[in-house]
Amino acid sequence: MAYSEKLIDHYENPRNIGSFDKAAEDVGTGLVGAPACGDVMKLQIKVGADGLIEDAKFKTFGCGSAIASSSLVTEWVKGKTIDEAEAIKNTDIARHLALPPVKIHCSVLAEDAIKAAIADYRAKATKKAE
Amino acid sequence: MDHFARLGLPAALDLDAAALDRAYFALQRQWHPDRFVSRPPEERAKASAEAASLNEAYRTLKDPLRRAFYMAELSGVEMPGDGKTIDDPELLMEAMEAREALHEAGSPEAVDALAAEARQGVQKALSGLPSLFLANDRAAIRKALLRLRYLEKFAEEARARRMNIERSNA
Repeated sequence: MAYSEKLIDHYENPRNIGSFDKAAEDVGTGLVGAPACGDVMKLQIKVGADGLIEDAKFKTFGCGSAIASSSLVTEWVKGKTIDEAEAIKNTDIARHLALPPVKIHCSVLAEDAIKAAIADYRAKATKKAE
Repeated sequence: MDHFARLGLPAALDLDAAALDRAYFALQRQWHPDRFVSRPPEERAKASAEAASLNEAYRTLKDPLRRAFYMAELSGVEMPGDGKTIDDPELLMEAMEAREALHEAGSPEAVDALAAEARQGVQKALSGLPSLFLANDRAAIRKALLRLRYLEKFAEEARARRMNIERSNA
């Protein structure tokens, strides 16, 4: 099976690996897993005062497609509002990386991770506003 | 017919391994293709189907982990299939930290120590299962099995990591 150049590039040179302090108010953390394949993915966003995502980091233990999917999402969300980031669909990720059908679930994991990170950030923001 | 019934054994997590072997080998002889060579085709086909089901039942019940997953299936515990994600923070944090530690382990000894810890985790999760099944606590069974699945994956990754370290030391 041939993987796309974009996928291989994200896998071999993953962008934005790392962590933010998950307790920080301006950080949202999404931690999701796909038990069927034993993958675990952490995706974090750092939101600026202007409401734009200024930085994103990830850490993924899983197959190459899962790593590439999360790497791509961290690139995509930078500079976006959280509403825009929330609109990212797994099908966009799968299409961009030309994921083979058996690896589509890796893009689902990445979509769920960014949604979870946004939910975490919003929960913190709501709490702070109260 | 479920796998336990096929082998004539009570559906239990703590299966007697010797009884399982005895039941399997007796039935395997009974359905062995050699005994059916001169029989009509439909009997031969039945024997070969029986032998295949028997092997599948034995493979599933022999391994404590696979047996636990199978028991859960029989008890109606729904496990997330392919493409389904979970967001249990406690379990995932544990899995993430274990994988990070493995990633940082630089010697076969360090990997072995982590693998031993994971095996203890497997034993602990397995030993807690019978009472959960007794109480039919499906949520807790599901959680224990998810943990087991991650521990199983960890063991697989630990073997790979160990091989990589040894190869680079060679």
